[in-house]
Amino acid sequence: MPYQPGNKAIIKLIIPLFLIGFIFAGCDKAEREFYDGMGKKPVYASAEELRDIKNEAPQPIIQSGTIYLSDTLLFILERHKGIHVFNIADSLNTVNLTFLKIPAISDFTISGTVLYADSWKDLVVIDISKLFQITEAGRVTNVISPPLFPPDYEGAFECVDESKGGVVGWDEVYLESAKCRTF
Amino acid sequence: MMKKHIYFALFVLLVSGCAKDAAYDDGAVGKSGSITRFAVFQHYMYVLNQNEIQTYDIQDKAHPALIHRLPTDYGLETITIYEGTVFVGSTTALYLLDISTPAEPKILSKSDRVADIGFTGCDPVAVKGNYAYSTIKIIENACGFISAESALVVYDVTDKTDPNVVGTYPLSMPNGLGYQGNYLFVCDEGTDQLEVFDISDPTAVKTTSYGYAITDPFDLIVDGQRLIVSSKTDFLILDISDVAQIRKVGQITK
Repeated sequence: MPYQPGNKAIIKLIIPLFLIGFIFAGCDKAEREFYDGMGKKPVYASAEELRDIKNEAPQPIIQSGTIYLSDTLLFILERHKGIHVFNIADSLNTVNLTFLKIPAISDFTISGTVLYADSWKDLVVIDISKLFQITEAGRVTNVISPPLFPPDYEGAFECVDESKGGVVGWDEVYLESAKCRTF
Repeated sequence: MMKKHIYFALFVLLVSGCAKDAAYDDGAVGKSGSITRFAVFQHYMYVLNQNEIQTYDIQDKAHPALIHRLPTDYGLETITIYEGTVFVGSTTALYLLDISTPAEPKILSKSDRVADIGFTGCDPVAVKGNYAYSTIKIIENACGFISAESALVVYDVTDKTDPNVVGTYPLSMPNGLGYQGNYLFVCDEGTDQLEVFDISDPTAVKTTSYGYAITDPFDLIVDGQRLIVSSKTDFLILDISDVAQIRKVGQITK
């Protein structure tokens, strides 16, 4: 199969299993139409829950993402969940200050006292001038295309049903008749 | 003689003006790691959205306006801006964009890396002068065989419409990168090491025996003589004032 731009994305997008044998005819793996067994299942947040942007108590880092240094404040992304904020003015005594809860976040940046983040399909503007009392200052709806598959994962998963809300995580569960898979 | 003095005074004024600006920028604008899909330039923000580069006007900070969408191939992963040029790393290519009209970025070049199918990559870019340094992490191909083609790639970007690869240096599983002076720091998740390269001659980058052992390093930010390195569940602060003797000066207070 010759290389075509965007092939990787095609692979990463949701491919009904019955097509896989066709697309990957060159591979050794044999695939069935549906999958029963361990795999990933989306965890949803409702439209209302997605808008629950607020401060929470400092939390340990589970899996870090984007990092951003604003003066002496270090911001560290926790995918799907929010942003950890540390004060690193004193290297010997860094302080975990607060956690900015931003449901379904995957990336962010900062301009002055304004933080821009994606949150499922929206771009949200968060006023961080009061770091311990953040507020949503603005929102552009329906501009982001979030990935509809589990990150850094290879295997079967339950297809995302967007009518249930936004995806804020993936659970490892026993799947029955799963129709989606990543490679 | 008098003239010379005046020139000198003007020169000092100019230089001090520049230094002040640079310091102001560092403090107010902040610094991102090398792995991010968001970047702010003047009163515009660029967002990588799978297969397009979005431009938002953020003059009114609380009300961003999506004013431009530039279509690209799928797989956009990292963006960095260096001296008015946007560098975008995707899973298949390095894009250079002209933002002389920031509201309408234009593709200057697209350097396809591998004419192969089904690899995934992670490819942050750091730029210094006429050279761009990019790490490529190839985890697996479509059939599930591990590939060992991860590397640091050096591009000569003097001609922004036609970057040329001038060097490729093998790495295990590289992630974020950044530089200070003539030293390039690369997070290598495969060797659990912060690797240090000598880039004083960008066309003949040298590996060094310097470095620092870190479990699963992910990304980094150079902050003066400090290097902030994030790992999967932690971050470290390293003193890099002497790269031959990098030492830890801080980490998360648990």
